[in-house]
Amino acid sequence: MTRVLVVDDAQTVRLYHRELLEQDGFQVEEAVNGLEALERLAGTTYDLLLVDVNMPRMDGYTLVRHVRENSSDPGVPVIMVTTEGAATDREQALSAGANLHVVKPVQPEALLLQVRLMSGALS
Amino acid sequence: MPLVRRDADDNLPGEERRENQRDRAGLLEQLQDPRPAARRRAAREIAGDATAMDAICNALEIETDAGSRHAMLTALLVTGGERAKARLLQLLRSEDAGLRNGAIEVLQGMPGLAGEYMDGLLSDPDSDVRIFAVNILESLRHQRVPEWLQQVLQNDDHVNVCAAAVDVLTEAGGPECLPALEALPQRFPDEPFVDFAVRTAVRRIQGPGGSHGQ
Repeated sequence: MTRVLVVDDAQTVRLYHRELLEQDGFQVEEAVNGLEALERLAGTTYDLLLVDVNMPRMDGYTLVRHVRENSSDPGVPVIMVTTEGAATDREQALSAGANLHVVKPVQPEALLLQVRLMSGALS
Repeated sequence: MPLVRRDADDNLPGEERRENQRDRAGLLEQLQDPRPAARRRAAREIAGDATAMDAICNALEIETDAGSRHAMLTALLVTGGERAKARLLQLLRSEDAGLRNGAIEVLQGMPGLAGEYMDGLLSDPDSDVRIFAVNILESLRHQRVPEWLQQVLQNDDHVNVCAAAVDVLTEAGGPECLPALEALPQRFPDEPFVDFAVRTAVRRIQGPGGSHGQ
């Protein structure tokens, strides 16, 4: 089963993504900030990370940089899902190492399609 | 090896002499020290000195070490006051997400000043800043928090600002918030996330088997 880690401090967002992805056959785990995500990543691997930007303790950009530079799975696909949609925000996400930058609120079908494509669930 | 008592800084090597200067001028200088440990220590020791506020904030804006950044933010929290508030509000507009989130956490710890800036922040033309304002409300101990959140639900025209308010109310909202929550999906009929988030919040507020008006 394809595994996705949802990293967001907003519980409604985590629940929404969980419901959406589980209905589509994904296995979903959650982390409330970048530090908790790193702890989870130290013990297991995921097929995709869905990462918010603004979170307490460790923001999404810092998390993604850690994943790319220090984790045991530096190539894991990352979609950053954020409220910030300016071109500079997109540049920051991609330069931190995200594969895709998506602006909230997400449209369910569009997000599912990207998750299926990037997690390898379609292959 | 004999113990040597050092009575005069003049006898110390330059770096060590600088470290031993624990007066205000020495600490301000050490906020710029190339070694993170020295910057952290200086920030801890200068905490509470209101005249050092701008120096701490200037150092914070260029700080890259997480521990030193934390020490500087803590120094701002300990020192508090109008100048700290003003500089922290400026940091909400930083391009650095870590700095913004640090500023949010410190402002959450200064509830006494929130009444002075929150109405303005919730009316800011930048929707990202209004979201950060709602993030501050999440852990702010202030009697007007429910009123501010309901204002957002009723008046803010940006879906992500309202969604942030719904998320806070999911954790901390009471029955008085239900009318504003239940009206929100009508303002954003094309956003399935809003409908989902409101249903989640209402369910949490009402509890198992609860319903509006009971």
